[in-house]
Amino acid sequence: MSTNSDIAGSFAAGFARAIDPTQLTGDADTGALRDFPLMPLGEHVDMGTDENGKPLFDPRIMMSAEFRRNPWPYYRILRDHYPVYFNKLNNTYYVTRYDDMTECYYDDIAFNTIPKGSSNGVLGNVTHELSGVEHRRRRNLFGQHLVGKSLENRIPAIERLATEMIDDFDNLDDSIKQDKDGVRTIELGRAFAYEFPVRVVCDVLGFPEEAREHFFYWYDSIMGGLGASDTHKQGMEARQHLQDYVADIVKERRQNPTYLYDNDGNEMGKDIISKLCESQVDGDYLSSEEITALIALVVAGGGETTRGTIMNMWYSLLQHPDQYNAVVEDEALWDAAFHETLRHSNPIGGQPRHNTFDVEIHGVVIPAGSLIEMVNFSGSHDERIFKNPDDFDIFRDDLYSGKLLRSGYNKEGKCSHMAFGVGPHMCPGAWISHQEGVIGSKILAKRLKNARINTSMMPKDIDGESLAPIGINKLRDLWIDYDLD
Amino acid sequence: MADRRPPVRILGNAKPSLSRSGMKEYVRMGTQADLRTYEIYQRERVHEATEKIRPIELVSPEFVRDPYPVFETLRENYPCYRDWMGNAYWLTRYDQVTSVFTDDYNFETRPKLWFYRMTGYGRDLRQEIPVQTVIEKTYDQHVVPLTEQLIADMKATGETDLATAFAARLPLELLTRALDLPREDFSSFVEHYWLMQRGYDWNPVAEKAGRQAMAALADMFRPLLAQRQPDPGEDMISAMSGLTLEDGPVTAEDIVVTLLEMDHETLHGALANLWFLLLTHPKERQKVEEDQRMMKFAYLETLRHSAPVLWKKRFTLHEVERFGRLLPIGGLFYCAAGAANRDPRQFKDPARFLVDRADLCQREPRGHYRADGLASGIAMGLGQPSKHPALPEDRPRSLYAITRDTAVTASNLLLDAFPNIELSPGAKPTLKSLRLGEMHTCWHLPVHL
Repeated sequence: MSTNSDIAGSFAAGFARAIDPTQLTGDADTGALRDFPLMPLGEHVDMGTDENGKPLFDPRIMMSAEFRRNPWPYYRILRDHYPVYFNKLNNTYYVTRYDDMTECYYDDIAFNTIPKGSSNGVLGNVTHELSGVEHRRRRNLFGQHLVGKSLENRIPAIERLATEMIDDFDNLDDSIKQDKDGVRTIELGRAFAYEFPVRVVCDVLGFPEEAREHFFYWYDSIMGGLGASDTHKQGMEARQHLQDYVADIVKERRQNPTYLYDNDGNEMGKDIISKLCESQVDGDYLSSEEITALIALVVAGGGETTRGTIMNMWYSLLQHPDQYNAVVEDEALWDAAFHETLRHSNPIGGQPRHNTFDVEIHGVVIPAGSLIEMVNFSGSHDERIFKNPDDFDIFRDDLYSGKLLRSGYNKEGKCSHMAFGVGPHMCPGAWISHQEGVIGSKILAKRLKNARINTSMMPKDIDGESLAPIGINKLRDLWIDYDLD
Repeated sequence: MADRRPPVRILGNAKPSLSRSGMKEYVRMGTQADLRTYEIYQRERVHEATEKIRPIELVSPEFVRDPYPVFETLRENYPCYRDWMGNAYWLTRYDQVTSVFTDDYNFETRPKLWFYRMTGYGRDLRQEIPVQTVIEKTYDQHVVPLTEQLIADMKATGETDLATAFAARLPLELLTRALDLPREDFSSFVEHYWLMQRGYDWNPVAEKAGRQAMAALADMFRPLLAQRQPDPGEDMISAMSGLTLEDGPVTAEDIVVTLLEMDHETLHGALANLWFLLLTHPKERQKVEEDQRMMKFAYLETLRHSAPVLWKKRFTLHEVERFGRLLPIGGLFYCAAGAANRDPRQFKDPARFLVDRADLCQREPRGHYRADGLASGIAMGLGQPSKHPALPEDRPRSLYAITRDTAVTASNLLLDAFPNIELSPGAKPTLKSLRLGEMHTCWHLPVHL
């Protein structure tokens, strides 16, 4: 017969084994936020393993600085062990394999885009929140101006805008330019990459030049104000500001449409806003609010992403001088460089979907209406598709870098990357951003002789020597040295 | 638990096929939502921006320690707050929280087993009458001798920690009595039971420990079940072994799942919080000392003032328009009982602990949350409040009532035994959750007897 104190002792012993005493007294491991150590690239924090040796995945890692700079090993864990991962902290399912994602993207009945994601409110009634026929009709209203013949018409203007900006490097502000001993140091972002896409979007939309000054405010605030951010209100204010601005333009252009001209001054047809003013859906003209939403999407989508891509491309190329030299030698390789950049360090992480009914993927039952994040970034690093996916290699033979296809490309051992998504909702700006990135870079490469990264100005990785990785961030600053003559 | 989802309708001509990825074409399990092509959910305007709170505050360490400031911001500004980061909605007003708790047609309760992603592991037998009868009987029978035994243990030392020696221990002692476990298993039962209860939420290490603990508990119950099936005693395992269920005989896993869903949090949390509040509010304690009948009111007021279970999750079963919003199917709702219980629309001076509060209902809520024209605190009892206002005589009391009576009886015995009980000098007890989403209670309550 055991005594009372034995029993009390046995309770205390069991209790202590179940609850870490430091949790009772201190603040150890209480919140859903945790500092993770920064690991060497490609290695992950040890999050433990389950009873079968399968690595565990701590959802807090996804909110950590470590994840943003070194996401590759974590997505590999998800792809290998949790192809459908349920993050209970943010009530979201993650699909991380290339093929799974492709199938989901194609099926816009089962995986709809109705606006339960975080972007609505800021962007307005945008097409990526529609499905089916409704989506196709509205998307084509503006999408048609960003592809094919319309796009070809814009190429001279893109070249002109890039040349203008690069010609102006002599007049850059001293805070982003230094000349010393025949070597010029510039910060590529503020000198070129931030503003170039803005000028292109302005031009394509037919905005007056003075609109450029509002642009940074609009797209910084709108992109920064999406959803779960502190700056949600600022995003909505910026959208309102954009809407007020566009409303006046729309009012004007409904009466007096404006036209685009080529470099020689020949008329090439109406600009997008003038055309949208004439567009009809089911016999009704678009309201100025609807036009604003479409424009907000072009503004937000056309600025941030392209500037990120140009920065990431130059950073990656200049870290691999052999590849950079090859591109300079053979301009045809810029396409491959552009696509490899988007595959390797895509500035957009993924896209949300909601399942219309209960679905089961890889044995995981996802109840209807759940938020499912298609992790484009992870799909592009899927070793089932791309060999050595974490290496930047513009010569890789498994990446398709031909004409962009909405259906994606997956033939003869070559696959398209996931950065633009695939299927009906593939990025409508993909084609124009491709032209911007490639044309801008070609002209830049001609002017920047013997370009190289100014390593002393760049942030370093944890070892204090190598350059900081891009991770799933967009590069903020890129300091480049080049020879003057 | 009965499946309240709408009947499954197989869609279209979806034929299972094997794709290149080897991902078997996802199984279309039926429709719940009609496909919408042009619909607007929560289109917010500038003036509706929720800039008084950042979603990260809902997972911060400060929130884990003291959620009430954040609750107040939400309740007074954004009664149906869209938390983009957590992909959820927060309900914080009394009327709205109760309206969801009592609306099984539109809102689904997913069992803890679902969060373990182990649906089908075992059945929840809490609602079986023989099981409830045994729980009522054993709890009523054992609460007095057990509390006396705990008191004797405490007397031997003179100083003790009420949080562990009383509030944490009593519920598990009662549970072992109800299960009639061998004493030598007590320590390992405590460990595994706790690990199981702490594992179903977001922490993967805890989840793994929880899964292992469930397996260990099943191993512990399996021989007992085999032994008691032919020769039943008067305990929960025997009661369960005698059940005839439609889908097969009772297994050890069913017992584990029943314990998982039943949990101990209200009893444990209420005891710890009740004594924390009594010891830190001498005036209120005096009212209880003068008239022991006040202990019951102190218990109810504790659940209102410092609810150990701060919120429960519900999911929308249909698209439904509520709280000024069009709510999508599958939306997650945090129904914050902790916030609703301090709603000044219902309770005067709600942050004040007042055992003889006039605006708190003193009766068990039965399917609705008000009686006598008064609002009751939302006590997250063991199980749902019973649905039927008129219960047959032979039905056991609800788990809610059993828990309340147990806590009140034990607390009165404790107060009798130690009339001079005081906080240890220098002690500064507080309430906190050990992890985000876990019970909010007092873990360290050192007292001088």
